[in-house]
Amino acid sequence: MLPIARGVFNSLTLMTRSSRGAIHTVSAHKCKAAAAESETVEEITDESVDEGKMSGSGAPDPKDRTKVIPVETSMRYLKSAAYKTTYGDSFVWTQYRRNHKGMFAPRKTRKTCIRQGKISTGNPCPICRDEYLVLDYRNTDLLQQFISPYSGQLLSYSKTGLCQKSHLRLMVAVEQARDCGLLTYDVPFREYDYSEYYGKQEKKQEQ
Amino acid sequence: MSLFKHIRQLNALQCLQAKRQYSPAALKSASLQYDKDPQPLFTDSETQRLLQSMTQLQLDKVFRQRTVPDNSSETKFMTTLQLEKQFVKTIEKAKHLLQMPPVVKIKQDTERIISKDPAMKDFATTKFVFTDITFGLRHSERKVVVRDVDGSLSYASLDTTKRMNQLYFPLEGRKSYTPRMFADEQLLQRCLDEHKYEFILDRLLVQYEPYETEFHNISARVYEHLNESKQFDLLRSTRHFGPMAFFYAWHSCIDDLLYDMIRNDYLHNAVELIALSYKIHQVPVDYKQTLSQLEQLQPTPAERAHAELLSCLKTKDELGIEQEIHQAIGKTEQDFTADELSLKFIEQYIGSEHSRKKVQLELALQTLKEVNLEKLQLYQGLKKAHGVQAS
Repeated sequence: MLPIARGVFNSLTLMTRSSRGAIHTVSAHKCKAAAAESETVEEITDESVDEGKMSGSGAPDPKDRTKVIPVETSMRYLKSAAYKTTYGDSFVWTQYRRNHKGMFAPRKTRKTCIRQGKISTGNPCPICRDEYLVLDYRNTDLLQQFISPYSGQLLSYSKTGLCQKSHLRLMVAVEQARDCGLLTYDVPFREYDYSEYYGKQEKKQEQ
Repeated sequence: MSLFKHIRQLNALQCLQAKRQYSPAALKSASLQYDKDPQPLFTDSETQRLLQSMTQLQLDKVFRQRTVPDNSSETKFMTTLQLEKQFVKTIEKAKHLLQMPPVVKIKQDTERIISKDPAMKDFATTKFVFTDITFGLRHSERKVVVRDVDGSLSYASLDTTKRMNQLYFPLEGRKSYTPRMFADEQLLQRCLDEHKYEFILDRLLVQYEPYETEFHNISARVYEHLNESKQFDLLRSTRHFGPMAFFYAWHSCIDDLLYDMIRNDYLHNAVELIALSYKIHQVPVDYKQTLSQLEQLQPTPAERAHAELLSCLKTKDELGIEQEIHQAIGKTEQDFTADELSLKFIEQYIGSEHSRKKVQLELALQTLKEVNLEKLQLYQGLKKAHGVQAS
């Protein structure tokens, strides 16, 4: 009985040590891995296996962000059950809290969470912590989460907690999506002065 | 450095070529175009009235919550008199928001040279554009002239004029480049397939002038797609409904819209649509009599919206039993007589050679007749039961 209990305790402590996001993030990673396999993304899984062999260790490094994840995968992930179990019905940024000393958070968020292809911080921003969230103009489901339903504007990083680099990428992606018509917005009303289009012709006809 | 310059020039060239590749795609897509100037028919007061009546005025839709940076609302205490005044103002504002974009024919670009000065040749390596930036001028009145490299002075082309206007007096929402949504064929098709008609048309109005070729092509494409998908309800009570109905009437493909109107029980709209197409194609059918009779029987959309606003002031006890019956059934006695008139007119249209989907329309009409009959019976029964005298 005792060895089993000790084993469980050890694994728990290991989990909490390895990532400060604790069980939440770890379970999310497991779910995502399962989802990726179940959706038969053979190429991706092959690559990950190769990488695992190269590095020599069994499990891939959870902080490694060198692998490029295609947008299509991300779009599928946002509709998957794995996403649902991780975030539920809330947005990707609602559960996120910034770490800071004192009562008030610094005005700006950190410059970047990823340095030299690795997560360089213990509390990465909502986009950087989940590698399957890819900011791209085609990924409208994700972009929609960062747009205010009242004003149609982009939510501030003080609210969403995105790092400055992700926020910039988000702004670019939203602008591109609007340009392509993938995201709709309320176009300003244009008032027409009819005489500008019709007045002259009537004068001509009179002459 | 020179290498960089070279590469940049090459890139610019490539961009230009890409743009040129895009433009014919948009041109190709439009199959229906106004063959002659639609302006006199469109601005005619009778046509305008018909189109406005067809558009309808649903206050919920006109004043829907917009996601714009400033959408604050104000709360005020008012007396009943003030409130009634405010209602009138609201209706005016709604009418303004439903202003139809003008329908004009495509303006051809003509080259107008003011003077040729060979002495100025090779004065500079680039063209010079001079713009009159006087405050308060209209965009169409603004003078823009170009001094060419070979020394000739001429009025700028429409494209240049528009760009200069946008440069000095920017229109809110207009981009200085063509949005990819309009440039790329596939993106536009995708927007259409997702039924974002209102968004496309709104953006089209802001981006292009009504006399431009692109405006005509894209709007024609949207209307054609809409005619196939039959989601007319998306545009009802927006500013685009009038030009859309006008387009269908002009190209004599009103049957789908007519079917939709009959199914939604907008019979007077159906009559107006048929009258409009008769008017445009100068069919010798007397429609004016029916129209005037209908007008007497039924209020205009603005009046109807006003009555709807005023009805919230009344409490339930104030409403008579007759009103309550009206509300329950959704029709008054006048509506029933108007329906009879319009049904006769529509049947006449379906019988004529102008309609193309006779069977479908007849079936819809038949169903509507049965429903109407049931409603009429119910209405009369209710009236009798409550002892309301037949007027």
